[in-house]
Amino acid sequence: MRYSVLTIVFLILSHSAGTSRVSAGDVPSFRNDVMAVLSRSGCSLGTCHGNQNGKGGLKLSLRGQDPEADFVTLTRSLGARRVNVMSPDDSLLLKKPVMEVPHEGGRRFRAGSEEYRVLRDWIAAGMPADGDSAVRLVRLTVEPTEVTLYSPQASLRLNARAEYSDGSVRDVGDRVVFESSNPAVGVTVNGEVQFPESRSARQTSVTVRYLQQQVVSRLDYVPERPGFEFTAPAPANVIDELVFAQLQRLRINPSEICDDVTFVRRIYLDVTGSIPTGVQAKEFVQSTDPDKRARLIDRLLDSPEYVDFQTLRWADLLRVEDKTLDSKGVEVFHHWIRESLAADKPLHQFAAEIVGARGSTYAEPPANFYRALRTPEERSEATAQVFLGVRLQCARCHNHPFDQWTQDDYYGWTGFFARVDYKILENRRRDTNDTHEFDGEQIVFMKSSGEVKNPTTGRTVKPRFPDSQMVHAAVKGARGVVVEDGDRLLLLSEWFGQGESSRFAATQANRIWSQLNGQGIVDPIDDFRSTNPPSNPALLEAITREFVAAGYRIRPLMRLILNSRTWQLSSRANGTNEDDATMCSHVIPRRLTAEQTLDAMSQALDVSIRYGGYPEGTRAVQLAGVRNGGHRYSRPEAGDRFLALFGKPGRLLTCECERTAETTLAQTMEMVGGSVVSELVQKSGNRIHRTLQSSELTGEFLSDFWWSALSREISAEELRAFREHVDSSADRRKALEDVVWSVLNSNEFLLRR
Amino acid sequence: MPSNISSFHRRHMLRAGGAGMLGLTLPKLLQADEQQGQGRTPGRAKSVIFLFQWGGPSHVDTFDMKPEAPDGYRSLYRTVSTSVPGMHVCEHLPETAKVMHRFAQLRTVHHTMNNHNSAGYTALTGVEPLVDDQRLRESLDLFPGYGSVVDAVAPGVSGMPTCVSYPYQIADGSVTPGQRASFLGKQHDPLFFKDDPNDRDFRLSQLSLPADISLDRLGSRRGLQQIINQQSRELDASSAARGLNAYYDRALEMLNSNRVREAFDLSSEPEMLREAYGRTTYGQSCLLARRLVEHGVKFVTVYFAPSIGGRSRTDGGWDTHGFDNTRMYEILPEWHLPVTDHTLPVLINDLSERGLLDETLVIWMGEFGRTPKINANISRDHWPKCYTVLMAGGGVQGGAVYGASDKYGAVPDRDPVTTGDLAATMYYAMGIDHNIELRDNLNRPLPIARGRAVTEIFS
Repeated sequence: MRYSVLTIVFLILSHSAGTSRVSAGDVPSFRNDVMAVLSRSGCSLGTCHGNQNGKGGLKLSLRGQDPEADFVTLTRSLGARRVNVMSPDDSLLLKKPVMEVPHEGGRRFRAGSEEYRVLRDWIAAGMPADGDSAVRLVRLTVEPTEVTLYSPQASLRLNARAEYSDGSVRDVGDRVVFESSNPAVGVTVNGEVQFPESRSARQTSVTVRYLQQQVVSRLDYVPERPGFEFTAPAPANVIDELVFAQLQRLRINPSEICDDVTFVRRIYLDVTGSIPTGVQAKEFVQSTDPDKRARLIDRLLDSPEYVDFQTLRWADLLRVEDKTLDSKGVEVFHHWIRESLAADKPLHQFAAEIVGARGSTYAEPPANFYRALRTPEERSEATAQVFLGVRLQCARCHNHPFDQWTQDDYYGWTGFFARVDYKILENRRRDTNDTHEFDGEQIVFMKSSGEVKNPTTGRTVKPRFPDSQMVHAAVKGARGVVVEDGDRLLLLSEWFGQGESSRFAATQANRIWSQLNGQGIVDPIDDFRSTNPPSNPALLEAITREFVAAGYRIRPLMRLILNSRTWQLSSRANGTNEDDATMCSHVIPRRLTAEQTLDAMSQALDVSIRYGGYPEGTRAVQLAGVRNGGHRYSRPEAGDRFLALFGKPGRLLTCECERTAETTLAQTMEMVGGSVVSELVQKSGNRIHRTLQSSELTGEFLSDFWWSALSREISAEELRAFREHVDSSADRRKALEDVVWSVLNSNEFLLRR
Repeated sequence: MPSNISSFHRRHMLRAGGAGMLGLTLPKLLQADEQQGQGRTPGRAKSVIFLFQWGGPSHVDTFDMKPEAPDGYRSLYRTVSTSVPGMHVCEHLPETAKVMHRFAQLRTVHHTMNNHNSAGYTALTGVEPLVDDQRLRESLDLFPGYGSVVDAVAPGVSGMPTCVSYPYQIADGSVTPGQRASFLGKQHDPLFFKDDPNDRDFRLSQLSLPADISLDRLGSRRGLQQIINQQSRELDASSAARGLNAYYDRALEMLNSNRVREAFDLSSEPEMLREAYGRTTYGQSCLLARRLVEHGVKFVTVYFAPSIGGRSRTDGGWDTHGFDNTRMYEILPEWHLPVTDHTLPVLINDLSERGLLDETLVIWMGEFGRTPKINANISRDHWPKCYTVLMAGGGVQGGAVYGASDKYGAVPDRDPVTTGDLAATMYYAMGIDHNIELRDNLNRPLPIARGRAVTEIFS
């Protein structure tokens, strides 16, 4: 009943709103009304006329971002056959969307609707362009910006308001487009958000778009949970307080703390990239020290293996790769990254040294960053993505459709990187046609001149700091400032890490969070924008604050996260949290990375794996470069191929997304009977070989192997089954191979939980 | 609509070896256009066999001969007449000449990529990269290959992999992009193998077990593995574990599958037919392509050679610059043309005799053609501005010629075709709407083909 009353109120509201026109008089404004109607009716979506190819002969700009072009298309192209000023109702522009003539896109609105009237009146008025005096949109707002709905309330109407250059404010609920980020949560064309019946809490962000602006409203829905009582472990630190507060509000109980067996495997994998040895696992599990978790956290954060693993992650991002940097470049850059991380160098300093780098790529290792990025566009996109968490690529060719960045902003930012140049002292590349290969020393230096051009306008763009809407509260006094002189990259490098709410700090804190929790609070972690809000804003603010307070260092923030109850929760869901995938109520198992998988197998079987160009005994996480590309260096070994197959990135992109975690049939075939797994299982000198040559009993072998491969005691059921398999087999070696195979292929071995 | 139609005729006149050959009258053309307008595609092709001619075959020495061109342009080969009245091909393709009535020719395919890797990528995806550069390498910001797109938008349901590529991975310095799934994810990669179908005991190593592991032994291993998995119920119930298990089931199913084993079992083909296809890697690869299509694979890519080649008379691709004092006109008749002429007509006839041609689109193309002007080495260099692509089967009107190059074979004279158009045409033949969008790593929406289907070549 309550719902229908609300609906009537909405109808009245939307009706009264529908009669207002944004322009003066009765003639609709092309920009403020007509374009809005086309967007709102879905005409300019990528799946319809906004498609690169257009649709059915009509091509509009994607999401109406280019009103000038669309004006020409609608009024002039094809002899203006789409509009009929003498008889507006006979215009194709009206007959198609109301299905008076066949329209592949179906009915978009009805004759007589507000949309219809806007288009009709505009055509009847002779399709005027907006004059210079036409009012412009200044600001779009939505109410509420954040709200939690408690069942039985499952719907809410959002109110959109626009402020114009003449100072007027109007309800634009009948002009804007509403889009829900969660496909399971609907939003009507009039902005009524409707949560479906559900036993668990749901979240969505609704983006409200009008002309070139967009704002976001966050909505949570909490179902009824009769008798719900919030129970959670006692918070260990600020992380738990904020995570549990959000869970409590959403009537979700976090899982319990994980057991020691799970903990020890999880922490080794997350901090060092390897599984614990059997001895390490057993010692930890059997220890009665009440502080043993905190102690192990400290010990592992101080271990060289932590540095190896953290270096691997940064080497991925900074494109430490043989073909472009050459083997010496890979070596010195990898070494420099490793030393920086071993010393826990503040990340803003680390970033400044990279962005401000110049000189010989051999003597000044961070200069290799620019060696891999040969154009101003590549440099600006990479820097924005790694250090500011922004994906700028869209704005290279047109205004960003989901963010504030315009094409001019893009080139303003890119201008910082316009003067990087290279002296190629020598190039011993083997293939003279291959301009991507550099083998030899290079000097990165700054030219004294050089600017970038916006290809759309053809105008030179001076370097300009992004304004506060793009990078909120970034630098004191520097926002939107055009840089006229001075060393641009040194100016830029000072810009990182100023102010505790800077995007730089948030991006790095979120990255550290994501390394340990499998996903960012903003996710993807390099895609910060208003239309991709954090799953827990207070939590992101808190860890950013902690990160800044600890001097932008990785280890203190990791220590805080690892000691939180949140990170230590079990993967065993309870009745209230099994549907949650984003709010950290329990741990969601995920596949080990390529290096983790191969290192774990190698360690469990005590067999080293060969990688092309590296000494025997090198672990996969220690590899400095990438050599999976082909025949030009030492041939890739089976180990290199395995890593590529399981998603080790080629380091050709500055994006975490290049490392892939999907499961494929080819991976499974490799695990089932491929060359690497077969060799590990059969290699002379491996764990099987050793037991065959000793007097070790089957039970002893099984127990020991379970500790070293699965970090736990073998269960009675397993012991019975596996002992029987070995003892009843005529060929003991083959039977042990079967045992080892089944362990390496088990969920417990291949997944991190 | 009316204003559109007259220009349509002017621009898209269809030429065949004689217009009567096609039986296409103007009203029929109109009808075809209207059908397209209503979103219907004939979609007769269930499968595609994509024969990729790496290195870039010379169009003016094969299918777009210019016997009237002046010295220095004109091919040193003579022409021979074909099964299509008035149509001629190179004298070194006498068997192919007999089946030209099965092929439609697109004589004006063009793009702007002059380097092998960037041009190869363009030909394998229908998308031109931002820069024409040999440096182009496989990376997740590039477009996926055709087979992977098909696997993503219209996967096969036969239990066979949707797309299979062999017997080489092509490269020129770097591995040529466009051969895999890129941002679609590795699960859409083609089943890629490098085993040689011409080997005496050819078998697919990726779908075979090591010699000492029988299916029984694997079954018992799977049993042991499941005992461990049952120890942790909550882990076993996780979506990651369910995903893994599904893949183990699928892997075992494939290893156990008679259909898969049979599809790859070339030894079950009669000796005569194997000889007819030619005892070459390419010949047996084409025979295997027919078997795969028969067993339900939707997209088969056969690479003619692993490298651009051009200097050898016994292997390699079509990149005949005449470098190192080699001569294109001596090399082609000893290697590329006889191998092609031995195999291509046999494949077409074999498909036709089995009733498969109507539902199989065969595409023969390289990454570009070659310069109309003969170079100082009496050979030819790269030429992407205009070259010829062959299509047969899958509803394509045999004998059709779409577009025409100028008198040198240098630029389109009429009806140019982009690689985006080619992609759209291929999807049209397969009944796939080419405006379907993919999302790349940055979540950008990208249509699977950027162009217009050349519907005029379909009957």
